[in-house]
Amino acid sequence: MSSLHAHTLDVIKLNIALPNGHRLLRNVSLTLEPGEVRALVGESGAGKSMIGKSVLGILPPNVAITEGEILLEGQHLNMMTPPTRRKIVAQSAALIPQDPLTALNPVRKIGPQIIDPLVRIQGWNAREAETRALDLLDRVHIRDPKRVMQSYPHELSGGMRQRVLIAAAFAPSPRLIVADEPTTALDVTVQKQILRLIRELQQETGTAVLFVTHDMGVVAKISQKVTVLFAGKVMEDAPTREVFTNPQHPYTRALIAATPSYADLERPFSPVPASLIADLHAQIAQDDLLYRGGRI
Amino acid sequence: MLLKTVLTRLATTVVTLFGVAVVVFTLVRVAPGNPIAMMLPPGATEEDIANLTRLYGFDKSLPEQFVIWLGGVLQGDFGTSITLRQPVMELVLGRLPATLELSFMALVIAVALGGTIAVIGARKRGTGTEVGLDLTNGAVLSVPDFLWGLIFVLLFGVLWPVLSISGRVDPRLDIDFTTNFYVIEGLLRGRLDVVGSTLSHMLMPAMSLALPLAAMIAQLLKQSLKEVLHLDYTTLARVRGFSETAVILREALRNAALPTLTLIGVQFTFLIGGTVIVERIFAYEGLGNMAIDAVINRDLPLIQGIVILFAALFIVINLLVDLSYTLLNPRLRHG
Ligand SMILES: Nc1ncnc2c1ncn2[C@@H]1O[C@H](COP(=O)(O)OP(=O)(O)OP(=O)(O)O)[C@@H](O)[C@H]1O
Ligand SMILES: [Mg+2]
Repeated sequence: MSSLHAHTLDVIKLNIALPNGHRLLRNVSLTLEPGEVRALVGESGAGKSMIGKSVLGILPPNVAITEGEILLEGQHLNMMTPPTRRKIVAQSAALIPQDPLTALNPVRKIGPQIIDPLVRIQGWNAREAETRALDLLDRVHIRDPKRVMQSYPHELSGGMRQRVLIAAAFAPSPRLIVADEPTTALDVTVQKQILRLIRELQQETGTAVLFVTHDMGVVAKISQKVTVLFAGKVMEDAPTREVFTNPQHPYTRALIAATPSYADLERPFSPVPASLIADLHAQIAQDDLLYRGGRI
Repeated sequence: MLLKTVLTRLATTVVTLFGVAVVVFTLVRVAPGNPIAMMLPPGATEEDIANLTRLYGFDKSLPEQFVIWLGGVLQGDFGTSITLRQPVMELVLGRLPATLELSFMALVIAVALGGTIAVIGARKRGTGTEVGLDLTNGAVLSVPDFLWGLIFVLLFGVLWPVLSISGRVDPRLDIDFTTNFYVIEGLLRGRLDVVGSTLSHMLMPAMSLALPLAAMIAQLLKQSLKEVLHLDYTTLARVRGFSETAVILREALRNAALPTLTLIGVQFTFLIGGTVIVERIFAYEGLGNMAIDAVINRDLPLIQGIVILFAALFIVINLLVDLSYTLLNPRLRHG
């Protein structure tokens, strides 16, 4: 029990499924220690976002947790009533979303969008919250924080909006941040800045980050641990360095081979072979049969 | 920029009102029925009729009559009612407050009721409650305002007589107000007896007018809310700890309100149109009731005055709706 308390996040044998029984996550387990960055990689549809959503309690209404545990700072989230759970999650975790264009309310000024949760949910007084918001906007390198607080989202560029969202995520001092492909929707040049910014703030604050991406290049830059996901199943879970130097699973090797390398531009780029994918799907189909067989 | 908008707006308003004036002036004169013959006793001679016709100017050609009438209107004189023998302007302005108070009460009821149902429906989306609300809305919507009026008369006037079904205010009350805005002036003067009596007389006609609009608002607003409720910023608000109800009220409502506002803008003018029949059903002393009498009696100057006033009212309402868009949507505020 006490060893669990030391973890920021424990996901234990998590299974989620659609009402028709189709499984979206298959016995997924992962752990985040305080201050650790764990990358969650896998191709589109692998279920990366579903893991983040399970943790934050924002699964779509037709998706349900069928089995497994989620512990946030040692607290069992899926045994709580929704209001309690919402409070616990808001106090310990935050989200940096994928698309900064849709993640800010278009009819509200930036300031209140950062300050409101601090005042209404975290219980700060208005002055503290405003100071905090200005400070964080400054720390995400926004030049004129006072003016930006008075702006509407449509007056800011995509990169600026993502900075605002990063500031908002770090504002209540969460111990866990889920960053769901936070740079995918941005220009390539802005992507690098935003990535650097998240790493910078993460290191300053010691916040644990679950970093969702499908880019092995990003994995190498930002994370200490990696979880490789395929069709809702964990293929490999290892320290980042080991994953690159000595990948255990054939799918991990294929993913690395499929990533253009910055170090070795000569190395040929090769997509994940179709035969490997077919093999993996066959295995998963078998898993599913056993899983159902075991339960009925 | 702003000045240009205002000027354009003013110009279109003048053109619209002129168009309405031409149409109504022509229509009431080509429609069958002689107003003069109707106001004289059965034994009147041809000469009596001719005299009176001349007095009211009906012997002149249509364009001539129009020019004379328009000249008066431009000086604020809408002529004299044939049946009531009082200046049209005075009569119409005397009745306008009753209709305005009734329409606004109906609007407030429709928005409050429809808005609440929309929020509940969005909150309970995907459940049996939502289906139940949808079905109820459909049923309410399929009954027009005047039928609601009759249903209410039957229910609360006849079967279970708790509300007064006729008039605007208890006639036994002593009302020496300067305006005919009984509710507003009553509140200002602290005459709660007048306010109470007026409101209880207004309740049923206002409900009749409000119900169909409330159902429309409930359906449209709920639909818009549901669309907004799976946008990223609402998800983010949930992660930040806001309850579903708080997310709907704080994050979604203003974004979802625009289509509903357009609906209300259009439907409110229909609602005011609906007062004509509903006021009749409840013998409510408003403009609509007066309009029906004016038509029955072929009181041409009065009909013209009422129609022009309604047209002006519609224009003002549309203007207010456009203004509120700008308030709701910051992107429209610039440029
Ligand atoms: N609301 C939903 N209803 C049913 N299935 C869904 C729903 N949302 C997602 N899915 C399915 O769940 C699976 C996992 O989705 P998820 O969004 O977690 O993928 P991902 O790994 O984040 O992919 P991407 O890189 O495209 O974001 C996908 O197969 C997707 O089709
Ligand atoms: Mg995703």
